[in-house]
Amino acid sequence: MDLLEFARGPALQFAALVLVAGTIWRIVGIVLLSKKPDFSEPRGPGGLGAALKVIYTRAFTAAPFKKATLYPKIMAYVMHIGLFATIFLFTPHIVFFEGWTGFDWPGLPNSIIFFIGVATVVSGVALIIRRATTPVLKLISNFDDYFSWFVTMLPLVTGLLIPVRALFRYEDLLAIHILSVALLLTWLPFGKLGHTFLVFITRGTTGMVFERRGAKT
Amino acid sequence: MKYKPTVGEILRARGVSRRGFLKYCATTASLLALPPSMIPRIAEAIENARRPSVIWLSFQECTGCTESLTRSASPTVEGLIFDAISLDYHHTLQAAAGEQAEAARHAAMEENDGNYLVLVDGSIPMGNPGYSTIAGISNYDMLMDTVKGAAAVVAIGSCAAFGGLPGANPNPTGAVSVQDLVKDKPIVNVPGCPPIPMVMTAVLAQFLTFGKIPDLDKHGRPLAFFGNTIHDRCYRRPFYEQGKFAESFDDEGAKAGWCLYKLGCKGPTTYNACATVKWNSGTSFPIESGHPCLGCSEPRFWDKGGFYQPLSTGHFGSGTKLAGAAVAGVALGVAAAAAGRRRQNKYTKEA
Amino acid sequence: MSQVDEIPVQIEATHGNVRPILNEVMHALDKLLDKGITTTIDLASLPFAPGELNELEATFGKGELSARLDALGTSRIRETTYPGVWWIEHRNVHDEVVGRYLEVTRLPEILSSQDADIMAGRARLGEQFE
Repeated sequence: MDLLEFARGPALQFAALVLVAGTIWRIVGIVLLSKKPDFSEPRGPGGLGAALKVIYTRAFTAAPFKKATLYPKIMAYVMHIGLFATIFLFTPHIVFFEGWTGFDWPGLPNSIIFFIGVATVVSGVALIIRRATTPVLKLISNFDDYFSWFVTMLPLVTGLLIPVRALFRYEDLLAIHILSVALLLTWLPFGKLGHTFLVFITRGTTGMVFERRGAKT
Repeated sequence: MKYKPTVGEILRARGVSRRGFLKYCATTASLLALPPSMIPRIAEAIENARRPSVIWLSFQECTGCTESLTRSASPTVEGLIFDAISLDYHHTLQAAAGEQAEAARHAAMEENDGNYLVLVDGSIPMGNPGYSTIAGISNYDMLMDTVKGAAAVVAIGSCAAFGGLPGANPNPTGAVSVQDLVKDKPIVNVPGCPPIPMVMTAVLAQFLTFGKIPDLDKHGRPLAFFGNTIHDRCYRRPFYEQGKFAESFDDEGAKAGWCLYKLGCKGPTTYNACATVKWNSGTSFPIESGHPCLGCSEPRFWDKGGFYQPLSTGHFGSGTKLAGAAVAGVALGVAAAAAGRRRQNKYTKEA
Repeated sequence: MSQVDEIPVQIEATHGNVRPILNEVMHALDKLLDKGITTTIDLASLPFAPGELNELEATFGKGELSARLDALGTSRIRETTYPGVWWIEHRNVHDEVVGRYLEVTRLPEILSSQDADIMAGRARLGEQFE
């Protein structure tokens, strides 16, 4: 079995198992925790509507903080949208998902994906430099923060190396890329990367609780 | 020791003029993917080369490689055999048979000890020597006996180079490749199912011209022909880059000649010269004719996922395992929540 | 012939090798005029999409002089519409194309009579008188 066969087979299989088990573990572990009963009079409806509303409104910075956070905000959006585009709008990836889910959708031309990929890496590097240099962030950042960043950037960088054909032969570059994705999927349910599936649950919960108490959301 | 004439002398004796010889050298340079500036060097080398002896051993094979070689354009294999090399032994092409043929093989081996080329097509069954024999001799015995005095061994076709179809799952005959068995001789692998005929003759021409084997990649394949992937030389590459793919055979994209990646093309991971040298004297190659590349020059290509499964398909394993993982996740989650709740109750009680 | 011939062939892909070759030939002509250097381009070494080779041949066209060589098969050597640029096509005894070159030179080497052949012919002629 060569490296590529290992990457596409056992490595991805292992990562998939850990991803499924880990994600369900965290979600179930959080959702089943007891909720402190709220004996106050509800001042707002709370409920699903509030949850959805806050998921949406949290995408935008509150007015007083807008100016100070403009730069990291833009960088973060470039990074997230870039990740979405490179993962889901690149045809060989779409073919991968089709094999798995049966769904197919149109992709973007390779050159555009490459450009977006480069922009995503640049924004990622800019953000990690900011994290490591600004006093507050430096203080509160831990291994989780840096490692999560690393396992997210690695598939991007290794993926960009493939059309460039740098360092290794194509099949080895592809194997390394797939192995880096396996690493990402293995780490994803744990640590800060879990925000991938948790962010909507947490925002929603905050929205429900606070709107019930009458806070402006 | 018999006087061995040089190739130049042989050609002149056959009435080949200097112009004809120059033409032959030019086409050989082209064949070896060498620049035209090398032609004088090639002319000098061939002029002074002695005819090498070649012994061809056919083992567990379909004869496709011999068929492909006999279709080779230039030099024609007859031309190669008679004008350039001395094909002293070949099961399919030779007139002799039985003990006479075996005697010819041994004579060639003795006369040219240390200097002859052994060409092998077909894999060698190790499960039971009786699976494939010639004149009562097992393939393994014949191979090990014949390579003893060889200058080099050329494994022709994917069966000889990597085990090929007989070696594919479940490999009932225990088929192995030449390089699995021969450890002390230089081996050149010329894989493909079959290999491009021109590539086969180019390796022989290389040996004839320079007296040594060509530069090889990590799988022992000549870099001149196996140095680039099909993908990197494919004329349909612009469509890949633009995102224009054929979704099924005979759809509009397929008719327009778009990229065949989604139909399972293994071009990106396959090293061969099909996209440049092409087949049938440069007529076409599978992709140009509308069929995705099978990857036939790569080791164990029969077992690398389906021919019509795109390269980027993952192999996730069974759904049962994933369901098991989900159940494990639920169990862990419930346990974690239970532990969490105990702590929560403890603090609430304390408060 | 058969219905196979009725299938329309659409060629959209291109390797874009025609222009670079024209450029290379242009520079080769400069070298020929300035320094008398011959340049040979092996067309078999370049990937062409279907139809591109014909496009290249049509671009260079046919000049004043064309020669036919019968040695180990037929070869056609002809000057193109650009003097000094020769299109050489070698075929083997089965009339299959085995080599295609563009040679930028005053006279392709293969057209000249070769010393070895002249000597062999002189020897033959000498025998006639004995």
